[in-house]
Amino acid sequence: MSTVAVAPADWRSRSAKQTRLAYGQALLELGAKEPRTVVVSADTQDLLGIRGYIERYPDRFVEVGIAEQNAIGVASGLATTGLRPYVCAYAPFITARSMEQVRNDVAYANQRVVIGAAASGISLGVAGGTHHALEDLALMRSLPNMTVIVPADVDEAYKAALATLDIDGPVYLRLGGRTEEPPVTDPDAPFRLGRAVQVRPGKDVCVIACGALVEMAVRASDTLKQEGIGVRVLNMHTIKPFDREAVLTAAAETRGIVTAEEHHLAGGLGGTVAELLAVERPTRMRMVGMPDAFAMVGPTVPLRAKYGMSAEAIAQQCRALLG
Amino acid sequence: MQETKQAVVKRLEGEARRIRRNVWRALRAGGGGHAGGSLSAADILAALYFHRMRVRSSEPEWPDRDRFVLSKGHANAALGAVLAQAGFVDDALLDRFYGMESPFGMHPDIKLPGVEMCTGALGHGLAVATGMALGARIGKQTFHTFVMLGDGELHEGSNWEAAMAAAHYRLSTLTAIVDHNKISQSGRVADIIGVDPLADKWRAFGWEVRQIDGHKMDQVVDALDALPFSSSRPSALIAHTVKGKGVSFAEDTYLWHSNNVNDEVLARALAELGAP
Repeated sequence: MSTVAVAPADWRSRSAKQTRLAYGQALLELGAKEPRTVVVSADTQDLLGIRGYIERYPDRFVEVGIAEQNAIGVASGLATTGLRPYVCAYAPFITARSMEQVRNDVAYANQRVVIGAAASGISLGVAGGTHHALEDLALMRSLPNMTVIVPADVDEAYKAALATLDIDGPVYLRLGGRTEEPPVTDPDAPFRLGRAVQVRPGKDVCVIACGALVEMAVRASDTLKQEGIGVRVLNMHTIKPFDREAVLTAAAETRGIVTAEEHHLAGGLGGTVAELLAVERPTRMRMVGMPDAFAMVGPTVPLRAKYGMSAEAIAQQCRALLG
Repeated sequence: MQETKQAVVKRLEGEARRIRRNVWRALRAGGGGHAGGSLSAADILAALYFHRMRVRSSEPEWPDRDRFVLSKGHANAALGAVLAQAGFVDDALLDRFYGMESPFGMHPDIKLPGVEMCTGALGHGLAVATGMALGARIGKQTFHTFVMLGDGELHEGSNWEAAMAAAHYRLSTLTAIVDHNKISQSGRVADIIGVDPLADKWRAFGWEVRQIDGHKMDQVVDALDALPFSSSRPSALIAHTVKGKGVSFAEDTYLWHSNNVNDEVLARALAELGAP
């Protein structure tokens, strides 16, 4: 399909700890498993690590160039013919810029389009606020029919991408940037859509986290264990459909909930938990995430910490909640 | 026996007249709506559904069917009319325009048999149609994809993203029909934001262009019969039309882009259109 020259597959030698590249690797397996797989790129061949896929499946690849609205519209049209499009794009652009296409052509028309969205949150910290995606979860989870997944590490990203084969509707798969995410999930555990994973047990407080914050929550839990505080950690990799039972159980079995995400405090994971608990079981809560501000420029990890997205900040919120 | 062209034109003119009558009927049922852009598109829709397109009303999801995307979805009354006349939906649906929980509202809904995409938010259809045409190529299918655009709709920049991509991929199985009625919601397109030179724009984007009078059925038939205009480029058919065509008080005025329709208006419109 594409006339783009195939470059050396140097992406394979790059870090394997970036969820955006795990998606690209998963597409290779998806291409083999599902002959209707077609990949749609918005000039993002290296961003999502898909040169290997393009080399293997040149006839099932569509490059649309730097045109995110078109990427979504084309993907929707492809899906109507029975194909399974996997969009490769920047999270900030494919959500905010293409929001109407995602809403109408994909969610409203309920087409099986998977949106692989790299560079979410402040994972491209040095790129600045134009390239951060701190509102994408709020946008995507507000859409009926949409499944929203936030993998915590590369293994989970790979498995989640494969799991989309069985999802009969549109999917938003939130991926990171050039920051390496430490492994935190059990590589041998199956990915179960819509089912939170308990990463640490605990009865005092429960941290519900997604994405890169899961690993931070685990470190916070381990720290607080030394202080005699039992912190349960739930990896809420699926924002929609939401695991209500896991949250309600945690609210019943602990003294409070701390949410943690790389997203604005408005409308993301914390908002989802708060909406549920406010109605079903009012519970003491603290929320870790991006405050109501555009992030400054900086390397991702210290930038996260500056805005309170760190293991230390999560631990502090747990203490505050119990105090 | 092969139908003569004269007979084809006469038959299609009859279907177009029925579309226009059904548009007014639906608008009356809804209390009003987008008369102008529905009526300017009627002749082309008649020729597409009753002459050019390979579709099966008894099997709306037939995989090899030609696709039609009404990107200017506010003309849904005309689409509903032609789908009813072609047997995709029950004729009685036309009396449920804007009705509570009706699948036939102001804009096309993919849940209605024969409707290929939820459109009407402008600037979406060409991208989706491009995806359909690419899907045909990847899936080794032979269907043709048609998309109808408004001229005011071409203000939306997303159209030109899709136009570039369709030409890049040499999608000769894709045809964009511009219902060039020269009027949008607030006035004349030339006064809002001009789109001329329109044919040159499409050519510059890599499309093969033809222009016709979109109300002269012989020209419409000839143009559709001539598709694809090129074996290596997508086709753009610019149909010069009159907004509100067929009913004097609605013709060539932005006031009938969308307007209320009561019994008196309906009676006047049907009287002008003549017997079905």
